[in-house]
Amino acid sequence: MVNLATKTALEAPAPAAEASVPVVELQGLEVKLGGRPILQGLNATLTGRCIGLLGPNGAGKTTLLHTLLGFYPISGGSARVLGKDVKTETRAIRSFMGYMPENDAFIQGMSGVRFVRQMAELAGLPKAQAIERAHEVLFYVGLGEARYRPVDGYSLGMRQAAKLAQALAHGPRLVFLDEPTNGLDPVARERMLRLIRDITEAGNVRVILSSHLLRDVEECCDEVLVLKAGKVAVTCNLEAERRANRNFLELELRNEQGGSADPGFNQALEALGAEIASGARQRLKVVLPDGVKVRDLYRIAVERKVQIRRLDYKRDSLEDIFLKAMEG
Amino acid sequence: MSAVATAATPATPAIPERTPLTSSPVPVPADRRVVIENVSKFYGEVLGINNVNLSIPPGITGLVGPNGSGKTTLMNLLVGLIRPTRGSLRVLGIPTDNPEALFRLVGYSTQYDAFPPGLNGYQFIYSFLRIHGFAHAEADTMTWEAIARVNLTEAAGRKVAGYSKGMRQRIKLAQAISHRPSVLILDEPLNGLDPMARAEVIALFRELSEAGLHVIVSSHILHEVDLISDQVVLINGGYIVAEGEIGGVRDEMEEEHPVQVLIRCDRPSLLASKVFESDHVVEARIQDDGGLLVRTRSADRFYMLLNQVILETGLAVETVMPTDADVNAVYQYLIGEKS
Amino acid sequence: MAVYGRNYRRYAGELTPPWSRFLILPRYAYETVFQSKLFLIFFAVCFLVPFAGLLMIYLHHNLSALSFLNIPPEELKKFLPIGKSFFFRGTWLQGGLAFILVFLVGPALVAPDLRNNGLALYLSRPFSRTEYVLGKMSVLLILLSAITWVPGMLLFLFQSILEPSWLGKNLDLGLAILVGNGAWILFLSLMALAVSALVKWKPVARIALGVLFFVSIGFANALNEILSTWWGYLFSAWYVIGSIWASLFGIPVSADELPPPGAAWAALIGGSLLCLWLLSRRIRAYEVVR
Repeated sequence: MVNLATKTALEAPAPAAEASVPVVELQGLEVKLGGRPILQGLNATLTGRCIGLLGPNGAGKTTLLHTLLGFYPISGGSARVLGKDVKTETRAIRSFMGYMPENDAFIQGMSGVRFVRQMAELAGLPKAQAIERAHEVLFYVGLGEARYRPVDGYSLGMRQAAKLAQALAHGPRLVFLDEPTNGLDPVARERMLRLIRDITEAGNVRVILSSHLLRDVEECCDEVLVLKAGKVAVTCNLEAERRANRNFLELELRNEQGGSADPGFNQALEALGAEIASGARQRLKVVLPDGVKVRDLYRIAVERKVQIRRLDYKRDSLEDIFLKAMEG
Repeated sequence: MSAVATAATPATPAIPERTPLTSSPVPVPADRRVVIENVSKFYGEVLGINNVNLSIPPGITGLVGPNGSGKTTLMNLLVGLIRPTRGSLRVLGIPTDNPEALFRLVGYSTQYDAFPPGLNGYQFIYSFLRIHGFAHAEADTMTWEAIARVNLTEAAGRKVAGYSKGMRQRIKLAQAISHRPSVLILDEPLNGLDPMARAEVIALFRELSEAGLHVIVSSHILHEVDLISDQVVLINGGYIVAEGEIGGVRDEMEEEHPVQVLIRCDRPSLLASKVFESDHVVEARIQDDGGLLVRTRSADRFYMLLNQVILETGLAVETVMPTDADVNAVYQYLIGEKS
Repeated sequence: MAVYGRNYRRYAGELTPPWSRFLILPRYAYETVFQSKLFLIFFAVCFLVPFAGLLMIYLHHNLSALSFLNIPPEELKKFLPIGKSFFFRGTWLQGGLAFILVFLVGPALVAPDLRNNGLALYLSRPFSRTEYVLGKMSVLLILLSAITWVPGMLLFLFQSILEPSWLGKNLDLGLAILVGNGAWILFLSLMALAVSALVKWKPVARIALGVLFFVSIGFANALNEILSTWWGYLFSAWYVIGSIWASLFGIPVSADELPPPGAAWAALIGGSLLCLWLLSRRIRAYEVVR
């Protein structure tokens, strides 16, 4: 395996105390824009490594992010980010945060390197460190030779990478990512998601990820905050949910030649006492009663000459959570 | 796998079964398909698409490929906005150089976010229908119908310029379906939609496809394409790389790219040795986390074998997962980093 | 052998002092601005007049250099007086060049940031709107200072060194140079920034700036004709500053050529406040959509 040599200089230690401070603490947070109340009494304490922020359009996700960045004044209640009060310590909060906006955002007429350098210096890094880190982070997000070209001419994928680079260059403790995979083609999406997982796991950085794609959030996040019409619809710890799903199985079936499976399989399962829901394309959701094991499924499969092409725990817990939150 | 659908005259369409595009006898007649024959499109010297042959049956077709691969060119050609440099396209029998007839049949939604300024949602669709020649009363009814289907009834009176991104996407979709077309060509229709709107629009697609429409959708979100499409078309660098029902496409690739299956169980080494005895298994690897990754040239035979082995040995299996049988994997193999 | 991986890591080193960060903006701006040959040439040309002034002062005190002209020294001294006229004309000339410099550099300062959502990036850092405006203004102010009051003061000091008695009689001249030029460059910078913030497109901002400056002169005159008054002059920055300079330098002026200095100062301050107000409305991290 690979030997990772850690650079000891300029490596930030992770003090034990840091782990216990909640990432975001909201108490009755109220925010008005143009006279209209947008956030109405939000209460939440979020402690995950990667926190997903979900909600329908207009629920207030971007408003919340902007409020935590100090762009909007708070009209009621309070909010704390990593222990610091948003109302009084905005500057301190901004110095350890990185923000990747949803919309296109760049400084015209600069090359990738200059852009990231300037952003890093504005966050307080001295000139020498700024250029070093700019190159490091540009390599990390995958902008190679393109970094010397003006940002104006970048493709969409490259601009997203540059946005992420400027968010990370100054080594923040917390990063807000607003729709980071927007418009990216599948290869670039995978790369972006891998980056996000990387910085969450290995990089000692907390992430708040706002996205419409439940899959992305499911893959990267361990805690979720769902907003609806300016209020908290639900907060949820995904890790715990996943562990609780052990009796819910998802199957995908075929017959011996690869075509549709014999419906006798389903009937045999039900005869055992299992609950079944059929989905599209030969997909089956099964709740096994106590006492029925996976081996029994295979026994029936041999009898009915059915291929069990997929056997897995239910992995769309987030979708269920989200839909339930929207109904409530 | 290939059930033969009853061929029907256009006057009384029977709902056809989902059939692969491969060389089986044509169950859906050519005048119920979208046919692209030997089509190339060059913009001066620059390649749009080259030598494309497709015959798309009804149902939901996913169009997948990197940016700049020719997806938008293909869609514009189908809608008749541009003419091919060579070859011909026929939508349900109507050639695309016949705009009058074509626009009746086809509904189109672009990926670009541009609107005539000053119109509200209702006017946007109503004016479109009037241009198509519908009388006032009918146009009015159809407009409200379309708006209701995308759940924008409340916002219909507001200016489109003030809509959120998701709402703009939905009003575009409403316009595309308002004149009750038979073929829908939608460029990234789910872009910017929140999860509920996504589910609603996907349900709408399913409804329309079950009614016999062609719904051709381009998207970058591969797991969604996987979920909703009956067949997929992969395009890269102006060429069609693969097309058909996804399972069929994957099976065709078995020789070159053996199917990968990841199995978690209590005795992976035992399972490995048992399956490795067969001739179709080319690799059995135990990963760091204890999972067993098997590569086999024949998925069908492997899974039947797996059933037997589990029963014989009494293994306790936790999960069985094909790791590369979806659109994502096919995309990675055929297009991957070459984009 | 060791294989090195490159991962993201946090930063725990030193930080630069917060108060100095607004200067990052001019530093980066100058890297771009001085790449343009046109600008370099222009900037060099701006120093011609001060250089000529330097020569004149030198010659004034070293008339022997001009002895080949065979003119008696007293006549020459009358021809090259170093006094309020001299500095007034210098200020006037450099003031015009200052506008051209602002015209070249100003429009690109804020408009692109507003168009490309750059403010969100600036303001998500420990960087306030005030620092942003200060930084952008410094881009202009530093350059403008270099071509207006700095050479002006240097010439003033040079003259004072060569003729110490002159200094005592002309202290107010020194003040006039500082205040007159300072007011002009501050106002110009604010105006350029405000125009650049109002209009999102750089070329349009440039046109707007030019129009504001030149058309306003014609407008001012027209208004005065129609209404038979001097109020029209207050609409043109050039007339306003002309009046202020004339009063500071003690140059007599007839009532229908320029507005009275009190009104001029009011107009200047009013205009500056208007620009500041416009800036505070436009410089935001987000778009307010109604």
